[in-house]
Amino acid sequence: MIHRLYTYKDLLLVFIWREFLIRYKQTAIGIFWAIMQPVSLMLLFTFIFGVVLQTTGKNYPYPLFYFAGVLPWTFFAGATNFAVTSLSGNFNLITKIYFPREIIPLSGVAINFIDYLIGLAVYFLLLLCYHTPLTWNFIWLFPLLAMLFMYTTSVSLLLAALNVYYRDVKLASTFLLQFLFFATPVIYSIDAVDIRWKLLLFVNPLTFIVENMRRVTIEGRGVILWQFGIEMLCVILLYLAISKIFTRIERAFADVI
Amino acid sequence: MSSEPVVTFSHVYKKYSKQQVLNNSLREELVSVITGRHCSDKLNEGEFWAIRDICLAVEKGQCIGLSGHNGSGKSTILKLISNITYPSLGKIRVQGRVAPLIELGAGMHPDLTGLENIYMNGTILGLSIRELKRDIEKIVEFSGLDDFIKIPVKKYSSGMYLRLAFSIAVHSPADIFLFDEVLAVGDESFQAKCMERIKSILSQNGTILVVSHDTLALHQICDSIVTLEHGVAISGVKP
Repeated sequence: MIHRLYTYKDLLLVFIWREFLIRYKQTAIGIFWAIMQPVSLMLLFTFIFGVVLQTTGKNYPYPLFYFAGVLPWTFFAGATNFAVTSLSGNFNLITKIYFPREIIPLSGVAINFIDYLIGLAVYFLLLLCYHTPLTWNFIWLFPLLAMLFMYTTSVSLLLAALNVYYRDVKLASTFLLQFLFFATPVIYSIDAVDIRWKLLLFVNPLTFIVENMRRVTIEGRGVILWQFGIEMLCVILLYLAISKIFTRIERAFADVI
Repeated sequence: MSSEPVVTFSHVYKKYSKQQVLNNSLREELVSVITGRHCSDKLNEGEFWAIRDICLAVEKGQCIGLSGHNGSGKSTILKLISNITYPSLGKIRVQGRVAPLIELGAGMHPDLTGLENIYMNGTILGLSIRELKRDIEKIVEFSGLDDFIKIPVKKYSSGMYLRLAFSIAVHSPADIFLFDEVLAVGDESFQAKCMERIKSILSQNGTILVVSHDTLALHQICDSIVTLEHGVAISGVKP
């Protein structure tokens, strides 16, 4: 799949550029939309859990805690949400012309990743504002980002391909995403969870990613190596399996769409 | 003009399904991930042959016309050549870059300007960004859109839209061009320009396959014409 994408890299670039242009054309505040969603969610959670409910979780600032969780979540949700209808909505392209089909869902992953990187810049500003001491452990953020990118890509490809066959996928994915939101420690910390449920929650790679993103930036601690190894292996195997299935069934997309 | 054929079909079959929800097809595809390519030559319920036992050998520099009624399988042949879909049975060999002009303006977005859409549509047709940058002036000039090239395509008339799309298409450096009912574009002077362009493609040893109902136009430009009926070739070039 990667070799094939290399020969079509120009098309992928133009697709990303197109989605980016379309997204912010005829908008008043343009690129600021990239940080609007995560920032407003962060403020909302801070207000509800910090002011209204007055929960006491970790002993670090609420805005940091929620923003660290909201950022990877909005990236994942945005990319997969784009991907689900990306192929079925572009049926006039799929039935009229050949190009590697994964380019369309991947361009959605890419533009959401750009938004995510902008959000990360804001996150680092926030860390500075709260005088959080950064340690070298924040380097761990990069492998975690790679893992998140890979996992998001796999899920996006799978949903996009399945929705070509069954439009149920679009309907199901909307509320599955809501389920997944609560199964991911965005608004809570996994430390507060009983050990039995902890194991279940770690089946979702996002749990590991979100928890450790907080750990390596706000807490300044490193990830636990064996845990990282297992999760990374699972994510890589998932990606390999899905890309293999995708390249096989995409040949029939034009016939069934 | 006898050389190695650039497009070869040997006993190609393609079946389609009439059913709306394809419960079986996904399962079949998934099974074939593990077992390898497998396709039965029998029709399941609700399936039909779009083309049957098609043999073709198109040589470099040739212009082949495909004619026939609606649903006779003309477009299916073009889709098979351009890899949009794959044969159920038989083998297809294509040598060289293909410019599939099955639909003009594929990938163009109404909110983008003409210039931006040249990059969008051009890369979809398989051109690189570098090739487009090099040829962009020629494309704009051929389309005759002048200043309109800088405004969003949604404000174009349908004629302007097609002229832009056709200009991008014929500037592709591909070896094999597939035209599907796209010859009647624009006014008379633009059509004459297109015909000239097609002739210059042929003189530069490009290969063209044209689908059209207009047999008169086909006779004008094609070396030979294949007539299809219900997915079977009833006359035309010998393989």
